[in-house]
Amino acid sequence: MNVAIIGCSGMGRVHADALTKAGLRVALCVDTVRANAEALAKAYGAKVAASAAKAMTAKDIDAVLIATPTPFHLEYILKAAKAGKHIFCEKPFCRTEAECKEAIAAAKKAGVKLFVGHVVRYFHEFEAMKAQVESGKIGKPGFVKISRGGIFPGGPKSWFANYKMSGGVTLDCMIHDLDWVRYVFGEPVRIYGKALMRSGKEPMDYSQVTMRLKSGLIATIIGTWAHPAGFRVQAEICGDGGMVQYDSADAPMSSMKRETGSGPSMIVPASPVSESPYQREWEDFAAWVRDDRAPRVTPEDGMIAVRMAEAALESSATGKPVRL
Amino acid sequence: MVKLGIMSFAHMHAYSYAACVNAMPDVELTAVWGYNLRRAKQAAQQFNARFVKDVNEFLALDLDGVIICAENTRHHALVELAASAGKWILCEKPLAPESSEAKRIVKICERERVGLGTAFPCRFAPSLMAARDQLQAGDFGDIYAVTATNHGQFPGGWFAVPEWSGGGAVMDHTVHVADLLRWMLGREFTSVYCEGGNQLHQGEIDVDDLGSLHLEMEGGIQVQHLASWSRCRSFPTWGDVTLEFIGSKGVLNVDAFNQKLTVYSDAARKAEWAPFGDNPDFGLVREFVTSIQEARDPSPNGIDGLRATEITVAAEKSMRTHRVVKL
Repeated sequence: MNVAIIGCSGMGRVHADALTKAGLRVALCVDTVRANAEALAKAYGAKVAASAAKAMTAKDIDAVLIATPTPFHLEYILKAAKAGKHIFCEKPFCRTEAECKEAIAAAKKAGVKLFVGHVVRYFHEFEAMKAQVESGKIGKPGFVKISRGGIFPGGPKSWFANYKMSGGVTLDCMIHDLDWVRYVFGEPVRIYGKALMRSGKEPMDYSQVTMRLKSGLIATIIGTWAHPAGFRVQAEICGDGGMVQYDSADAPMSSMKRETGSGPSMIVPASPVSESPYQREWEDFAAWVRDDRAPRVTPEDGMIAVRMAEAALESSATGKPVRL
Repeated sequence: MVKLGIMSFAHMHAYSYAACVNAMPDVELTAVWGYNLRRAKQAAQQFNARFVKDVNEFLALDLDGVIICAENTRHHALVELAASAGKWILCEKPLAPESSEAKRIVKICERERVGLGTAFPCRFAPSLMAARDQLQAGDFGDIYAVTATNHGQFPGGWFAVPEWSGGGAVMDHTVHVADLLRWMLGREFTSVYCEGGNQLHQGEIDVDDLGSLHLEMEGGIQVQHLASWSRCRSFPTWGDVTLEFIGSKGVLNVDAFNQKLTVYSDAARKAEWAPFGDNPDFGLVREFVTSIQEARDPSPNGIDGLRATEITVAAEKSMRTHRVVKL
């Protein structure tokens, strides 16, 4: 299966590696910054195109990966659907729930597969936590807390610092946990949230969200782009018969590079696995396209996750809880 | 020699306070009284104090101060008696489950001109004192957000009986952090939203065991706090007090009781954390003694206790109404 990558910086690079390992082929690289596209194309023996139009018209392209900034997702989804290409869209699905709806309708009409990369569903540690809950070992779960984040991505001039585009840490990062909580514990009924969203020379976002689910479970999720360095995920699930905790800082490897000068060094934990979660989501996508096997994430899941993040941001703006 | 008495050992903290008193050479645990005669008598024996059956007889003794460790809903009545007898008072937290009661407690002590302290020992934990110093020195710049926890194991007994406790985990485990943040940041809370309930002990107790609070402080500081009895019986320790401060100059994390050894014992059939370092209760009792000697209110005082109660009452109201409650 030949894939055209639209958006060749951060996530585009991660996906190029993952989809190759999953047995697909990077065939075409597109980026508004030509150097990004060229670098990636060179590494994978792919062609380069200046505009996405090429990806849509090329006959040998089977699927399109959309790894652009969030507000451009819909435009490319619509184009790819029209051209009859299957679509792998990086999360968040789109900037708004309404855009997600439009994207789903277009894919349906065109008869193409539309996948949203909620990769946390494929992370080994999150799979393991889900299995512990389902084993009944901790009893009936009543509370979940997940914290995720670290340094502000991309520096002050990146599109992430434009909250109208990125939705900040809530839409771009916490959406992983909003989706995972719903995936494992069911539908939310009420969301309260507060997001810092500081702009300027030193942008900083810090989001605190609590939701009540239909099952009665309470989930508290903390998302940070306010830390001076690093990245860390912590999770705990409490049941009436026990609890399970995870901390990414507890890892089988950790390293600390000797820096020249007196600047601070950082301990970097690593938890290598032979098959990365990104590779696994590509395998899931490929099996859907090839064999029509239902994937772990549906576009509706992607849309509801966007809706949840929007509700958290709406709550933050109005100072009131939002009912779903 | 400063002479102290303890009124009721219903709250287990009384045992720690008594041990602290006995460890101070210039302070004496003179007498013990309690509603539960057997428990009070045993405690008196354990700590070499005189057991007094009658409360009036107890308050007629030459005591400089009393520490009240009765069930929450009994604080008010005991404060009234002790204050009328002219005793300095250190009252276990929460000062009272209702704001009106807490207010009356403060008023009575003002009227009787006795000192009133609320037992928030966290203010005497070295990690939290150091954190406060760094925050107040501006090491972390302006503080924008705080995420906190005060988790614990379910304490059982009267804690889950509303007529004695007046509330559940939201009350029991919000007051410490509410007081700490007022003290560390020097600001008052302005609003609270709380999602909570009986999440983990259904069919067992009739009060809430967990609340997720979203509060705002003066200046717009966003605070999220988890108050719970969510630590299961096999958890290696009683619980925690944690605080993450997000500031313009960096992030400060405090895990106040993370001074511990991990102990694996086949006899216990679980891993356990054995604490080391200072006992904050000692600082709390020492401050109470000093306040008696200096004839002033101990710190934290009754107003601090009242403010913490007001916050928990607002959180409980929000939990019922699903609305933000202004303070």
